[in-house]
Amino acid sequence: MSSLNPDQIKVLEQSRQRLVQLTRSLGSLISSLNQSDPLPPWSSLQSQASIISNNLLSVSEQLSDQGDLLSALVAYPGPEYPGRTQANTLEQLLRTKLDPRVEDWVARGRAAGTESENSPATAPPDTLSDPNPNSSIEAAPAHPPLSGSQLAELWEWAPLEANQEARRRNWGGNFTLEEREAGVQNVVTGLRRQFEDDDEEEGDEEEEGEEEEEGEEGGEGGKEEMDIVGVHRKSGGGAGFEFDITVHHPHAVEPFVPLDEILRYMTTGRMP
Amino acid sequence: MHELLLFASVPVHQHHELLQQLAGLTAMQPRHCLERRLIFKAYRKPGLVTARTGASQDLQSGDLQRLNKMLNGGMFYTQVVGPISEGDFGSAPIPVPTPDPDIQMAGMDDAKPSVTESPHSHYDYERQPWKLEFRDIPEAGTRSAVTTRVMSSALLPRGDIVPSMNAWGYSFVTEYVVEGDMFIHNDIVIFLHRVLHYPTAEHEYHEPRRQLPVFSEMAPLEKSGSYVLQAAITVQDGSNQETMKTASQHLFGLREQLRSAVRLEQADRLSLDTRAK
Repeated sequence: MSSLNPDQIKVLEQSRQRLVQLTRSLGSLISSLNQSDPLPPWSSLQSQASIISNNLLSVSEQLSDQGDLLSALVAYPGPEYPGRTQANTLEQLLRTKLDPRVEDWVARGRAAGTESENSPATAPPDTLSDPNPNSSIEAAPAHPPLSGSQLAELWEWAPLEANQEARRRNWGGNFTLEEREAGVQNVVTGLRRQFEDDDEEEGDEEEEGEEEEEGEEGGEGGKEEMDIVGVHRKSGGGAGFEFDITVHHPHAVEPFVPLDEILRYMTTGRMP
Repeated sequence: MHELLLFASVPVHQHHELLQQLAGLTAMQPRHCLERRLIFKAYRKPGLVTARTGASQDLQSGDLQRLNKMLNGGMFYTQVVGPISEGDFGSAPIPVPTPDPDIQMAGMDDAKPSVTESPHSHYDYERQPWKLEFRDIPEAGTRSAVTTRVMSSALLPRGDIVPSMNAWGYSFVTEYVVEGDMFIHNDIVIFLHRVLHYPTAEHEYHEPRRQLPVFSEMAPLEKSGSYVLQAAITVQDGSNQETMKTASQHLFGLREQLRSAVRLEQADRLSLDTRAK
């Protein structure tokens, strides 16, 4: 192969473009993780991840489609390349072996890929925590990942079981039955206000239940209702929180006369 | 003196809540205020001062020019304000003999005692203290987002103020009562108030009332009973840009602190136009 025809150059150019896109989206994800405090919302992280995954997909498509050409190509420096001054760059460009770190990543990725393909139930893809991917195959895992059928089984079982568990509880009180039995005063609620149930704890359980229901029916809830205020971080990056003190009022009456008219009357006595 | 102001409209349902919030913010209990406000309007140019015309007009200093302009240029609405108390409302008038000019003269020197402290429960118009409050139209074209205006106040003789005002070229227009609560927050005076009307009488009043109706008969100007929140800083030297800037910074600080409760804003300049046309 003496020289490249325009089509082949186009293919190379396309690969370059896609790789550039991939690096860019990776870079933007890294910088958003590094710079924004608090972390960016999950929705933006997810959309960035999906962009990266699309980029990866297109790179991988490109590489496999043009695999023949790319594996046949050989790179060598042209005679006009300033080999003496740019020797480092040249070495980087002409490297045939991967960087050791990269090699490690690739090995881990390959191992994970083959494991999940061959035996998903027995071999754990423990690649995140295990620096040596080869050792994880021999190590006996405490919690092997579930196979597809096991997952399906779990999903079938869980809703029914959760429902049954939920039915066993008496909903509407401030504490669970277990918490009552163990003593309400031991429960760490994290709240400053005292719950009504505290005083009723001395009586036996049945009585409590009744009282509780009476309380519910008797409309005590209305009095006990807490003011719900919005809390958000101070704008402008300052420390602390701001509270939306404006509570929605049930009988809100907006003024009829605009402020300007009132001020005008106060100044000149002209009736609005 | 200059006055920097921000205003906000407060719906009646928010009034109680805002009072509590302000009490918390300023760490003081509200000071309840009741004021009679009489509005007077200039009907002739106040005392003409003929400026000394020098050899050259350039010699006339800027200050003198400004003074002349203020004295001869415009005719203004001005307010006469008198503090009252709730007990003054609906009390029987005292059978006063014909007002003796000597009594009025005595009132002029008497600066301290106020009607509100008097032990007798009736309202004595002849002993009502007054204060003249002049407010200029807010300055135009200021880049700052606060209302800025020239202001000046002066103590007036007690009692019937109309003859004195007439002598200065002012005629009585109308009167109303302002009811509200005052807070002090550092250098800011926060006044949460509303205008109350006298009950409509058969005959029009062309002079200030000598007795006040029962307080419950007073009706708010704004029918829903909403309040006006006014935050004000008074600056002695309005020409000092530094102090004016500091004052407006303080007002903006308060606006930020109250932002989630009320929106303090600059008032429409023309609604505070005190010029009489």
